[in-house]
Amino acid sequence: MHPHVITKIYRILIVVFISSSVHGQNRKITSSLNPGCGECSNSSTLVYIRALGAQDTIHQIWDFTKHLPTVILVVGSINSSLSIQWDRTVPTNFAWSELPLYSFATVIDSLYEYDDLDDSGSFDPRRPYKEYRFTRTSWALEDIVLTDKEVMVQMHGHINNDGLNGVVFIKFDLFPFKDYAAELPHLIHTANSTQVDVSLERLPVSREYNASRFAVHLVLASSEDPASTLHYVMRKSLDDEHTPGVFEIIEIKTPSLFDGQDGGYLQFRPIGYTARERNVGSSTMAHVSSFNRTSLPQRSTVATFYKKQMLLVQDMVVSFGDSGDGFYRQHNYTAWSFTMGYGTPPVESFSVFVVAVITAGLTVPALLALSGVAVVLRRRWARDTLPTRLTNED
Amino acid sequence: MESTTSWSHPGNRFHRFLALILMCFLCFGSYFCYDTPGALADNFKSDSHLNTSQFALLYSIYSWPNVVLCFIGGLLIDRCFGVRLGTIIYMSILFVGAVVFAFGVYIDKFWLMILGRFIFGIGGESLQVAVNNYVVLWFKGKELNMVFGLQLSFSRFGSTVNFWVMEPIYRWVANYYGGYERLGVTLFVASLTCLGSLICGLILGWMDYRAERILDRPENNANDPPFRLVDVLNFKPVFWLVSVICVAYYLAIFPFIALGKLFFERKFDFNPQDANTVNSMVYLLSAALSPFFGILIDKTGRNVTWVILSIVTTIGSHFLLAFTFVNPYVGVISLGISYSLLASGLWPLVAMIVPENQLGTAYGICQAVQNLGLATVIILAGVIVDKYGYLMLEMFFLGCLFIALIAAVLIYIIDSANSGVLNLSPSAREGLKT
Repeated sequence: MHPHVITKIYRILIVVFISSSVHGQNRKITSSLNPGCGECSNSSTLVYIRALGAQDTIHQIWDFTKHLPTVILVVGSINSSLSIQWDRTVPTNFAWSELPLYSFATVIDSLYEYDDLDDSGSFDPRRPYKEYRFTRTSWALEDIVLTDKEVMVQMHGHINNDGLNGVVFIKFDLFPFKDYAAELPHLIHTANSTQVDVSLERLPVSREYNASRFAVHLVLASSEDPASTLHYVMRKSLDDEHTPGVFEIIEIKTPSLFDGQDGGYLQFRPIGYTARERNVGSSTMAHVSSFNRTSLPQRSTVATFYKKQMLLVQDMVVSFGDSGDGFYRQHNYTAWSFTMGYGTPPVESFSVFVVAVITAGLTVPALLALSGVAVVLRRRWARDTLPTRLTNED
Repeated sequence: MESTTSWSHPGNRFHRFLALILMCFLCFGSYFCYDTPGALADNFKSDSHLNTSQFALLYSIYSWPNVVLCFIGGLLIDRCFGVRLGTIIYMSILFVGAVVFAFGVYIDKFWLMILGRFIFGIGGESLQVAVNNYVVLWFKGKELNMVFGLQLSFSRFGSTVNFWVMEPIYRWVANYYGGYERLGVTLFVASLTCLGSLICGLILGWMDYRAERILDRPENNANDPPFRLVDVLNFKPVFWLVSVICVAYYLAIFPFIALGKLFFERKFDFNPQDANTVNSMVYLLSAALSPFFGILIDKTGRNVTWVILSIVTTIGSHFLLAFTFVNPYVGVISLGISYSLLASGLWPLVAMIVPENQLGTAYGICQAVQNLGLATVIILAGVIVDKYGYLMLEMFFLGCLFIALIAAVLIYIIDSANSGVLNLSPSAREGLKT
């Protein structure tokens, strides 16, 4: 009951607090599945969300039609609109009513299986590893929500690649207001961001690897100077209230954001989970590799979307595990969550409860000290005015 | 009393000094053996194949019965045994418990380990109550605060020493034995500290007997009506406030140290070894500083003011650890200083409030409520960390400390309103006695 109450208080507070701030603003969202596609059936999944704000409109495209799970986030003017042309069940062109102002895309294009010989948890490209690309993975729709309060799709894909036969679950989730996610690690989502959950279940490990772990490979693209670079920023926070035991927040910032303007970002806690039941005990470390320059995956939706546009494209690998944890086979499960958004990454704040305790903590001792002084002074005064009583006592 | 110069006379300073050393070592064995499972946690898991909950049971079987037992233990000292016999009986129970536990490990029978820990627990906390009585008997009106501070923190120091030496002892024993037998033999070695403490108890008992004869000390309950259980209800309100501090203050220390290692690793990026070092600073400091704080309070009196001051600085330390990234050594060192100041100031208060023939019961109550608080809060603290994080845990500790602070201020107010002795300087206290 307690967390729900706290969440409610947050919501109230946040609604009050946010309405003044530009980048955490609420938006009016409309969403549709495979818009403009006549022949699409259950087998293709492209979700388009239009989030209308006070100054701009953020368009999001969540795509699985070309096998690589993709989120494209596009900022346009208030009146900007998008129409998608299809060839049967595959999008072939994204036509804008006016040129977009900014865009940022994330593609989860493959998994890495690596032999963690020194049991550090983190991925080392000098060690043996295999790449399993999602290019032939077909994604099946598990669950979908398309309302003006939430847009969500959950997909699962069977990985049948070089003997691998496991399931990858991917969930995209968007709310048109700022709040903490209901599930650990309780990341902050805003109307400008999408939360992505990836879980790797029952992936069989290669026989020749004794220390198999899995890592997620991401390709990040932004409509910025191709010669610039993404920035890795780690913040430390005093407050682990939302993610118990974790004091760090990692942000991957695009160059424009890093320079103080608005831009795209990824935000996450350096933590993954080894069980569906997420708690402190089932948490494990998440490690982020350095960025490498790369190009957009071929025959992908991002390639269709950007065509020949000059872009900043870099990739990174996020790996999971901690030394001595028994590697992937110990739990046969790894899950990770991050948010991808535009604007300034949200900053977590102390909860009402914490603020109340701090306030009480400062005022109560002060009041006590004052009352103590008052009592002493009163006694002194009483002693001075009634000397006879004391002498009688002695 | 001080006029006697012969070192062999019980009124001599040398005798009190010897008694002080013996009293320190009385509880050393109990605290040393209490934490042997903690120091050898990995070996318990690998040699005896205990899972986490079985391992936790080794500790909870000690603490839960003590919620009641040390109250009874204190009462028995007042009504039946007297302090000398009581100490020796509890010490013997403790030693038997340690041996049974070691034997249980040696033959790899879990039920016997649990039985051993249970017997050990019966003796353990009651022994602390008995030793508190000894301290008051020998040092009241003299170096009471200093001795209390030193004795209490030296006991806690026993568990720190245990963490240092058990691992080497285990490695040495492993040269001659294997499997769970080597763990059992290691524990037999550890139980020797209890035997040592028992010998200290016997010597102290003899010294006390001799002192009583030579100094013609009045028998404890010679003139007073026998102490009955219902008299507990007539304890002064100030005593109950002291009990509140005993619970609330220590809740912000022991569970913090229990969970501290991971906190330092996670929040301050310490490696496990450094985290352990920071964590053990509190007990180390208190062992080093308590005698000096005790002397300070012996010289200045005003126990309540010192208690309030130490609670306030403890609050400051927890604030520092919770709300800043300042090197945790700063917070932990000031925590250690405050903690030893409090121990020196608080426990002697009971002796000033409660008549001597009820002291055992009074200390028993303090210890019992403290155990109740700790047993429940250790579990609760784990849940808080899992659900709400370390910041919330710190908030919880701060909350406990505010309760302790309120209780301390109330003691101050009540005591000064009734012209009590608690917050007077030593000379003023002397003046009242005559």
